[in-house]
Amino acid sequence: MRVFICSLFIFITLLLISRGPAFSAEVNIKKTEMKKLLPKEISAYKSEGNDEFYDRQTTFRYMDGAAELYRSFAFKYLLVRRYLKVSASVIIVELFDMGSAEEAFGIFTFETGGEDLGVGQGSDYGGGLLRFWKGKFFVNVYAEQEAPSTKQDVLEIGQSIARSLGREGLKPKLIHYLPEEGLSERSIRYFHLHQGLNSHYFVSHQNILRLGEKTNAVLASYLLPQTTDKTFLLLIQYPTKKLAGEALQSFVKVYMPDASTSKTIKTENGRWAAAQSHQEYVLVVFDAPNKENAEELVQAAEKRLGERRP
Amino acid sequence: MKRNRVITRRDFLRGTVYTALATSAGLPVGKQVKAEEKVKVVLIRDEKVIDQQGRINKQIVQQMLDRGVSHLLQQEDPIQAWKKLIIPTDVVGIKSNAWGPLPTPAELEGAIQQRILDVGVPKEKISIDDRGVLDNKVFRSSTALINVHPLRTHFWSGIGGCIKNYIIFSRTPWFYHTESCSPLASIWSKPIVKGKTRLNILSLIQTQFYSRGAHHFDRRYVSEYKGLLIGKDPVALDAIGVRLLQRQRVAYFGEDRPLDTQPIHILAADQKYKLGVSDLNRIEIVKLGWMEGVLI
Repeated sequence: MRVFICSLFIFITLLLISRGPAFSAEVNIKKTEMKKLLPKEISAYKSEGNDEFYDRQTTFRYMDGAAELYRSFAFKYLLVRRYLKVSASVIIVELFDMGSAEEAFGIFTFETGGEDLGVGQGSDYGGGLLRFWKGKFFVNVYAEQEAPSTKQDVLEIGQSIARSLGREGLKPKLIHYLPEEGLSERSIRYFHLHQGLNSHYFVSHQNILRLGEKTNAVLASYLLPQTTDKTFLLLIQYPTKKLAGEALQSFVKVYMPDASTSKTIKTENGRWAAAQSHQEYVLVVFDAPNKENAEELVQAAEKRLGERRP
Repeated sequence: MKRNRVITRRDFLRGTVYTALATSAGLPVGKQVKAEEKVKVVLIRDEKVIDQQGRINKQIVQQMLDRGVSHLLQQEDPIQAWKKLIIPTDVVGIKSNAWGPLPTPAELEGAIQQRILDVGVPKEKISIDDRGVLDNKVFRSSTALINVHPLRTHFWSGIGGCIKNYIIFSRTPWFYHTESCSPLASIWSKPIVKGKTRLNILSLIQTQFYSRGAHHFDRRYVSEYKGLLIGKDPVALDAIGVRLLQRQRVAYFGEDRPLDTQPIHILAADQKYKLGVSDLNRIEIVKLGWMEGVLI
């Protein structure tokens, strides 16, 4: 029986890996569409060599480890093109079809510690790498070797590609529920999985908030009045109210077993955490300077959820 | 690892992570460590291994490797030291790492291969490979493995080091990505690798101490540490590697910026899979060569 189950598993795995002609045809159409979005020439740069094309499975061949980040979103396809001009380093463009504008925004928010160069719907430049998003696309533009002209070259190429990407898209609805007072816009992170949460703010090595592909989450930092340290607000949307309630229970049981019914505690760094559920949402505040601030931020987010719901 | 203890941020704030993880694994904590239980690793550094143009000096890499391996195995002659690891009839796979932005330096691969040749292993019985190991005839029939990987931060497992270097011995690496890659050490019990690893080398010639960028690589966060960490215990090497990267982040940023993922797989490799020692109190670091900015 075990042999049969193993054989069946191997057969299904191979089937998934190999896939059929219909899939290949769909991939070819996508590849052609994405190739058209990247200009062949940009200023003095010309596309060089063959483009590379990857999907969710094959992207491991291109990125070791980093592929997981893109796969933690609904990433669909990746087109890689190299641009070359005389006496300059190769510039690499990675065009990701993220499936939707929300997902493109999400992968973009993974890191925004650099300079916004005003490319696409949001951009970040640092260390020779330009990252931006527009519509359902997320784009990396970077030079193999950084030189004094890199920033200008990368910017020109990025702007040209952004123009060809067509319509803009909408940011995830969830971020509009964030209270505005004290919010640091560039700190907003949008993700789905608990690995995403941990990469921005380590909570636990286990998934105590029960995040998954069907949950949407946003984490943002606040500089509250008369404070110098960041306070974090985590807002998670679950598929149902029941799941949100269960996730809150799981979180409180593990993270704040010392909490009273108010679900507000002082943590070991002398700061405060508070947690609450509201319909299908869970709200958690970390590192508030005092109990009142923690509870007020939760209440402000709850209020916005109430105001904006249909 | 039993799931009766969940590690949270609050454990880090309390400074009780190690205790919590040990408890999670059902192990005694606070045990006295005897001197003889320590695992030996050798750190060797040379200021001139990278020149001003950023090129790695092949001869110096060979000297560093020779000195480090000789010291580890307490032999004056490096070839005699290698003879304690490899015999002429061995079939040897050098498991390298081909990650584009920061691969195992070719000069280091070459230095290892040279000493295995010197031991008397024919060239056709030696192979250097990474992603092709499962289809590589030498690796498939190997009797000995040398594990060499550059030290760097890694999105999914916290750090990429010696333990993680064997993930490619699985055709389904994504099966090992759960719980911050904590099952990674289980790969070491696969028949293709089990009991074959004679030496582990963590290349610290260049280290990536912080992950950002398109492929989690940003030149700003690459350090020319100019070292090699050599030992028989892959877990000990990785545990030291974690500490070094942390110290490098503090030195660069003025604060410890957390890793994307806590490298729990190193502790799991010790406590659950019994692959080696992760407790820094049980690791003896022998430091040789250039010591400026050593940090550990």
